[in-house]
Amino acid sequence: MKAIASRTVMWLFLLITALLTLFPLLMTLSGSLKTGAEMMTGGSLLPARAQFANYAEAWKQANFARYTWNSAFVSIMVTAGTLLVAAMAAYVVDRRQFLGKSLYVTTQASMMFISVGAIVLRPQFDLMVVLNLNTTLWGVILILISAHSSTFFMLIGFFKAIPRELDEAAMVDGSGFVRTFFRIILPLLTPGLGVAGLFAFRHAWNEYILPLVFTMTNPKLQTLAVGLANLRYGSSAAMQIHLMMAGACLSIVPMLLVYIAANKTFIQMTAGSIKG
Amino acid sequence: MRLRWKRLGENTLFLSPSIVLTAALGVYPLIWMLRYMFYDYAGYGSPLFVGLDNFRRLLRDTLFWESVGNTFIYAGGKLLLTLPLSLLLAVLLNGKLRGGNLLRGIYFMPTIISTAVISVVFYTIFNSYNGMVNAALMKLHLVSQPIDWLGPKHAMLTVVLVAVWGAVGNYMLLFLAGLQSIPNDLYESAAIDGANAGRRFWNITLPMLAPVAQLVVMLAIIASLKGYESIMLITEGGPIGKTEVMYLYLYKLLFPVSTGSPVEQQLGYGSAVGFATAVIVGTITGLYFLLSRRMNKLD
Repeated sequence: MKAIASRTVMWLFLLITALLTLFPLLMTLSGSLKTGAEMMTGGSLLPARAQFANYAEAWKQANFARYTWNSAFVSIMVTAGTLLVAAMAAYVVDRRQFLGKSLYVTTQASMMFISVGAIVLRPQFDLMVVLNLNTTLWGVILILISAHSSTFFMLIGFFKAIPRELDEAAMVDGSGFVRTFFRIILPLLTPGLGVAGLFAFRHAWNEYILPLVFTMTNPKLQTLAVGLANLRYGSSAAMQIHLMMAGACLSIVPMLLVYIAANKTFIQMTAGSIKG
Repeated sequence: MRLRWKRLGENTLFLSPSIVLTAALGVYPLIWMLRYMFYDYAGYGSPLFVGLDNFRRLLRDTLFWESVGNTFIYAGGKLLLTLPLSLLLAVLLNGKLRGGNLLRGIYFMPTIISTAVISVVFYTIFNSYNGMVNAALMKLHLVSQPIDWLGPKHAMLTVVLVAVWGAVGNYMLLFLAGLQSIPNDLYESAAIDGANAGRRFWNITLPMLAPVAQLVVMLAIIASLKGYESIMLITEGGPIGKTEVMYLYLYKLLFPVSTGSPVEQQLGYGSAVGFATAVIVGTITGLYFLLSRRMNKLD
C-alpha cells in the first residue's frame, strides 16, 4: 500500500513538472493560432478556431521571412567559422609544442570565465566601424566566432582520441601538415565537429544582445530574436500578440527539430562536460 | 633549420585566426575597459582623465548597490529553487523509470530554446489582465482573482520562476551524469544490510555525488549572477527598479532601452561598473571555490 502511494506521488510530481515545462511552449503554439482579439481579451487557453493565416501574416507583413533568413545566415556562418578556427588551433595545440603554448591555453580558459557584461560590445562595435563591417551581419558573425574557447576545449578532447601514428604515417607518405589535417584528420573528427557544431549553432541561433546592439539602427539586419523582441516594445504591441506568438513559434521550431533529431548528442555532451 | 621555420610557419597559419580573433575581440575589449574606467567618456567627444572619480561615484551610487542586492535575491532565489528540484528529478530519473527518456527529453527542452524568445512569450502569458497563466490558475480554481505577476510585489518572483524554468533541465542532466557514475554494488550491499531508500540517499548518494555537485553548484552560481537577458525583456528591471540586476544596470549605462530609463549613458563610468561587477562575481566564485576545497579537506 505504502509503495503504491509513494509511486503515485512520484509520478504525479514528474508529470506536473513535465506539464509546467511544456506549458509556455503549448501556450506559444495555442497563442499563435488565436485571433488578435482573442489574445487581447484573454481568458481562454485554446483558440476558438485555428488561425493558420497568422503565420502567413507574420512571415510577410511582420518581416519574419527576413528575420529567419538573417538568423539562418548568422548561425550557419558562425557554426562553420567557429569549427574551422577552433579545430585548427586545437590540432596544433594537441599535436605540437611551441613557444607561448601555455599562455595561449590560459588565455582561452580565462575567456570562458571573465564576464564584464555588455561593456565589451562598445569596443567591439568601434572595431567593426573601423573595418567597415558594422553595416553588415559580418560584424556579429566575427564577434560570435571570436568566442570559440569552449569549442576549442571540446575539440581538444576529440583530437586526443585520434592516434598520432596516423599523422605520422601520412607524413611519411609525403602528405604535408596542412594536407594531412584537411584530408585525413578532419574527416576523422566528424563526430566531434557535429557535436561542437550543434552547440555553436544553438548559441548563435539564440543570441540576442549582440545582434540587438548591432542592428539598432539597421532593422533590415535583425535576427529572429531581435525582431520578435522589438514587436513586444512596438507601439502596436497589444494588437500584435498573436503575431508575436507566431513569430516565437517560427524561431523555436527549427531549434526544436534539431533537438528532436539530435536529442542523444545534446544530452550526452551536456552530461559529458562535467565528467571531463 | 629549414624544418624549424616550416613548422613555425604551419603553427602560425593554424593558430593565427584564433589568436587574432581572441586578441581583437576578446582581450582588447577588456583592456579598453581597464583604460576607460579612469575616464569621463560619454561615448562621443574626447575622453577626460578623471583618475578614481568613477569609483568614488560607484561607492555612492545607490542604484548600483540596489542592483547588487537584487542580483543576490534573484540568484539566491533561482539557486534555492533550481538545485533541489533538479537534484530530485535526477534521482527519480536515475531509477530506470518507464518513459524516463521521454521525461528527460522534456525537462531538458527549455535549454535549447532562445532565452530572449521565450522571455517575450513569458511576458505575454504572465500578463495579469489577459495572460494565460492567470487564465489557467482561475480555471483550476487555484486563485479567485488574477495575480499581478509583473507588478512591484510579484515581479521578482516571476523573473525567478522564468529563470528556474530555463535552468532546471540543464542541472538535472549534470546531476544525472554524476549519479550514473556511482557504482551500483554500493546500493546493493546497503540494501542487503537493510538500509531503506532514505538512508541510502543520505549515506551513499549525497556523499558520492559531492564532487560533481560542487562543480554543478559553482556553474549554477556563475550563471545565476550573470543572467539579465530575460529580465530585460520581461520587466526591464522594473517596476520601480524591483528587478534591476547589476548586469542589466550596466547595460543601461551603455545602450538605450525602450522605457525612458533614468540612467544616463556613460561609457567611462560603465567601464568602472563592468569592472566592479566582474570583481563581485569573481570574488563570490573564488570564495565558493575555497569553501568547497576546505570542506573536502575536512572529510
